[in-house]
Amino acid sequence: MPQDPITLCLLLIPGLPLLAAGLAALCGVIRLPLLKENAHWPVVFALLGSLAASAFLFYEVRNAQNPNQNTAASSAGFEKVVPLWTWANIPHAYDLKSQFPEDTGPRDFRIEVTLRADALTAMMLVMVTFVSTLVAIFASGYMHGDRGYWRFFAYIGLFVFSMTMLVSVSNFVLLFVFWEAVGVCSYLLIGFWYEKPEASAAGMKAFLVNRVGDFGFAIAIFLIWTTYGTLNFHDDGAISGILGQSRISTGHYVTGGLATAICLLLLLGACGKSAQFPLHVWLPDAMEGPTPVSALIHAATMVTAGVYMVARCTPLFMASPTAQLVVSCIGGFTALLAGLIALTQFDLKRVLAYSTVSQLGYMFLALGTGMASGVTGGMFHLFTHAFFKALLFLGAGSVMHAMGGVIDMRQFGGLRKLMPITHATFLIGCLALAGVFPFAGFWSKDAVLGSVHDKIHQLDHEIEHRASSHEVAHSPSPLATIPDAQIPAFERIYQILYYSGLFTAFLTAFYTFRAYSLTFHGSERIPPAAGHHAHESPLVMLMPLGILAFFAVIVGVALTNVWGWWIHGKDSVLFAQANWGQNYLAYFLANTPSLAGGLVQSTVSYHPEFHITVAGASTLAAALGIGLALYLYLGERSEVSFLWRLFNLEGSDRLTDPQWVTRLEQVPWIGFVTRRLRGWGLGFLVAIVGYSLGAITLVFFSAPLILLGNFISPYKASYNKFYFDELYHALIVTPLTYVARFCYWLDRWLVDGLVNLAGALPPLAGSLMRSLQMGLVQFYALAMVLGAIVLILARIAWVNW
Amino acid sequence: MNGLLLATVFLPLVGAVALWIVAPLGRDAVRWAALAITVGTFICAARLIAHFPADAAGQASYAFTQWNWVGQVPSVNLDIRFALGLDGLGLWMVGLSALLMITSVLVSWDAIKDRAPLFYGMLLLLEFGCLGVFSARDIVLFYIFFEFTLIPLFFLIGIWGSEDRRYAASKFFLYTLAGSMLTFLGLLAIVFWAYGPSSGGEKLVFSIPELTSRLADHPIPMGWQIAVFIALFAGFAIKVPLFPLHTWLPLAHVQAPTAGSVILAGILLKIGVYGFLRFSVPMLPQAAAVMMPWLLWLSVAGIIYGALVALAQSDIKRLIAYSSVSHLGFCMLGLFAFTPTGVQGSVLQMVNHGLSTGGLFALVGMIYERYHTREIASFGGLARKLPVLSLFMLLFTFSSIGLPGLNGFAGEFLILMGMFQRAWTGASVELKPQLLAIAVLAVSGVVLGAWYMLHLVRRVFFGPLREPAVHADEDHAPIADLNLREILALAPLVVFIVWIGLRPADFLTPMNNTLDLATRQVVKEVDKLSPRVHAGIASPEGHRVDAVAKHLLPGD
Repeated sequence: MPQDPITLCLLLIPGLPLLAAGLAALCGVIRLPLLKENAHWPVVFALLGSLAASAFLFYEVRNAQNPNQNTAASSAGFEKVVPLWTWANIPHAYDLKSQFPEDTGPRDFRIEVTLRADALTAMMLVMVTFVSTLVAIFASGYMHGDRGYWRFFAYIGLFVFSMTMLVSVSNFVLLFVFWEAVGVCSYLLIGFWYEKPEASAAGMKAFLVNRVGDFGFAIAIFLIWTTYGTLNFHDDGAISGILGQSRISTGHYVTGGLATAICLLLLLGACGKSAQFPLHVWLPDAMEGPTPVSALIHAATMVTAGVYMVARCTPLFMASPTAQLVVSCIGGFTALLAGLIALTQFDLKRVLAYSTVSQLGYMFLALGTGMASGVTGGMFHLFTHAFFKALLFLGAGSVMHAMGGVIDMRQFGGLRKLMPITHATFLIGCLALAGVFPFAGFWSKDAVLGSVHDKIHQLDHEIEHRASSHEVAHSPSPLATIPDAQIPAFERIYQILYYSGLFTAFLTAFYTFRAYSLTFHGSERIPPAAGHHAHESPLVMLMPLGILAFFAVIVGVALTNVWGWWIHGKDSVLFAQANWGQNYLAYFLANTPSLAGGLVQSTVSYHPEFHITVAGASTLAAALGIGLALYLYLGERSEVSFLWRLFNLEGSDRLTDPQWVTRLEQVPWIGFVTRRLRGWGLGFLVAIVGYSLGAITLVFFSAPLILLGNFISPYKASYNKFYFDELYHALIVTPLTYVARFCYWLDRWLVDGLVNLAGALPPLAGSLMRSLQMGLVQFYALAMVLGAIVLILARIAWVNW
Repeated sequence: MNGLLLATVFLPLVGAVALWIVAPLGRDAVRWAALAITVGTFICAARLIAHFPADAAGQASYAFTQWNWVGQVPSVNLDIRFALGLDGLGLWMVGLSALLMITSVLVSWDAIKDRAPLFYGMLLLLEFGCLGVFSARDIVLFYIFFEFTLIPLFFLIGIWGSEDRRYAASKFFLYTLAGSMLTFLGLLAIVFWAYGPSSGGEKLVFSIPELTSRLADHPIPMGWQIAVFIALFAGFAIKVPLFPLHTWLPLAHVQAPTAGSVILAGILLKIGVYGFLRFSVPMLPQAAAVMMPWLLWLSVAGIIYGALVALAQSDIKRLIAYSSVSHLGFCMLGLFAFTPTGVQGSVLQMVNHGLSTGGLFALVGMIYERYHTREIASFGGLARKLPVLSLFMLLFTFSSIGLPGLNGFAGEFLILMGMFQRAWTGASVELKPQLLAIAVLAVSGVVLGAWYMLHLVRRVFFGPLREPAVHADEDHAPIADLNLREILALAPLVVFIVWIGLRPADFLTPMNNTLDLATRQVVKEVDKLSPRVHAGIASPEGHRVDAVAKHLLPGD
């Protein structure tokens, strides 16, 4: 038993859920109904234990990294590494020749199962165990009576084990291991009701899309190995880890094309796991899984693994401003795209799913700024988002539970009287998501947008600095590698991203309150499928909702330095002084080795504080969105159908009606000409011109407009998710299926055909030879003599050569 | 330990004779006896593995036994020995063979009703052959075992196979025999070269370790070396099977009885890879180094092509057969990457493939026993009806698609890592782009692998329940989930699947020295052919290489 509290916690946090998963499975395997119905107890208790351990770990890490109390915390942040066992060790696998002398030399391929504790891990652990505990409690009500009750809890236990390991391992291979492990838990849980064809298809889709991301992640790992000769985050003896304190303090990271390649491949992996464009297509389908799963895995925890990974790899990303720009662009674009799709969806869970994609996009937007405030802001948003998005999903689950599994918002409505508590908590979640003061989302969204704002400032400073180049820079700038000519372009792009982020805030508020109004307001409608379920959910489901709602209100403001006395400036090695409005998590996370030193340190000076202008702008955007949504959807507004017609390009076909050609004649002077022509017996000319004009209109104007109106009107594009599924099907799935069939055809007829041909040759030769055996003795004699002559001649030739 | 290896190899042979004696007692006695013998063999093999010294030098054979076999022929000084021994490579192959044999006996328990004594006898003879191949330390002995394995399998397919069994058996037999004839010529060429005055031999040596060291000192001239390499390649590549020499495999698998498929996929294919590692690579390093890009292209073609064809299958067993082509492509890729990670991954992947594909074939057999069909389209939603079978299926599928935490990941990851390392830093400037393309294509094979396997699982096990109509005229027991015997057939495989997944180091460490020795020569040759290119480092080739390196790594 380890004495050290941090080690003990690190072992307990993943260990308990794993044990509980085993117990839950045991409950199912032993065929006792009593045990099967109570399979949730081991998991719930284990998760409570993990939560307590995580909270304790958080406390310990905070104490350990506080330089006032612990002199061990160096300027490179705090980390504690706990090695468990050697996974693989291949001695002298690689002779590394690096531009950095300390990296050069023979390297063993040595992978150890190692856990780590630092601020980033502690924060993620608290979030994961907290949400999963509440979700498990909720699910014990929601899944009650399901055939696979025990199976569900066994999977949940397995998932929490994998997820907690994912955030606490200290090695890229192990990160990849648990990265895929959470993926397989997601696969199993999406396809939990495997008899539903949609569910099993969605599970497979999620797994395969993630595999495409993992393809990039794996190559990134290979590149890191060939570049740095280690895959450890931490320093291991003389070998400085990728994210270890010694490398961060020396700043020995490769730059340029190689750094960009590594980062973009890592980003591809993150895009898969965190459902970012272009790999976002799996997450909405994943809503086929049970709703608690959507809340836990597909909103709060697993999908944030990509964000965690990018934040963890901050030093790598700092080495490539180009890659950071791409991270921001992907994030900003995904946020916008998903926000646009969410506007028109009628499936409540899918609205929330696209909202998740969109909010994850925000996090990437912040991470891609490469500012200290951006990385911490992204993580802050991750933290608050976990609470209010889990709340919203569980609320949707509560609704779905009451509606007998129906989740289409057209089939129910006005549920606020029927389900008052669900309604109240859902409203709180909506306010938090929309970013209304003082709910959680307000503070973290401000941190995200503020960091983009900071980035623009930083680029401004850089331009000024370069204009007056006689000054010598005090510290190495992360922007140093950007050529002069590109700096304005960088600034322009970040500006666009800032405004698109604000617009997304408006969209977020709008679709959130659209869904809220459709579900809880209007006349009360209950689908027949609801049956006797149509009542408020039981206490076991309402309690988690209440707790999450409480946190959705306070977690933002509580973690923000609005109180002044809450934190001390010296708490952090990164932020020297406490700024009003800076979130506390930023101070805490700043002691993570990845953030405590290196280039990210030089970005601290750019206003690490609350941005009143940004907050004002985003609040205005949110208010507009909420106002518009409430105006349109509270009560029956005719404007809804007007907007619908407008965005659906309704009536565009009327524009393309070639009847206008005949109406031309009513114009006086045209009429005059045509009448004259007819009078002269040249009416056919009029007809020809008229018909040609009509034909031209039809071909060049109507066809595109009809196409536009019927298939790609803004409304239809949004409703059909911009046709990404169809596009991928047409471009990847279908062609590959045909190629596969063609290969099989080739295999049977060409490859095997050649083999059979070769196999047919010996019998053929045999039958030819057989014809020589004719039984004619004279022929044999002749052949013998001829043969002998040939042999003798050959011999003579041989000797005389 | 020396006697133990001898006992391990010969126990199945003795057992086969014993089966013939107990045959009159009936089917029960025969199959229990066969089980006892295979379990006994496995225990012996496990003891051998457990006592394997971790620091054994690569060449030194553990558990070595030898005596002169074909003695002094008057004019020629023949030195053919009966020599058995294990090193870090043979060790795991012997263990895998012994393990899969237990599974094979258990899956045949009810399926084989016709001429059971003969069947189990053949099975044990096959085990004898496999164990012999992997522990033979003499070329003649190796070759005898190598060819001997064909005979029992020929009968297993030809007698107990499905409708098209005769065609499949003869195709399998003739195809592999044709290749191994050339292999024999190649092996003889090696022996005669080592005998020649240039290498200072005074007797015709057939001992594998001795030949390896002789050829390391006196390599065969380049042109001849390539010719010999191609001759060896013919037999080994057909055995693997390497694309495009694989077409006998799906046919043989589909027609073979379950046990035959398990052994064929699990053990016999490995003989090909084993042959490359035992003979081609250490004895003909220059040729191997020169041919590396070609071999890698063939391997990666097999990975992608096998996966794609598997995707188009409508028969479960044929799908898994094609997946073997893809997986063996990974094994060959890791081997021909000639990096420590790649080669060790390759050998580990041989074991992994034996476990996962062996298990999958066993499961297909269990489904077939219940429904008498293997058409994917006739199934659906079996997970509800057969939960335990489905659980195993899911496990073996996850293992097969390289899910971390299970064995397949460890092998594939090491292989791809090794391949990438070769492509990125260990290739000449001319080769680098194509090797990188190979590496990236190979990684994409992992995506395809997940696709066809999960697609199979989804169609057969998920969705609404759909079962093929079982013929009414046969008096079938109601279709039930796995019984204890079937679980016991699969459980040992699962144990190792998880063990290798969690601690591959336990399996990698013993093979370390052996593989290091086997590939040391070829790694040197490859490095000679491709001077190290790394940005910022002055290379011996001077400016040109450096300039191109800069071009490949912009800004670095």
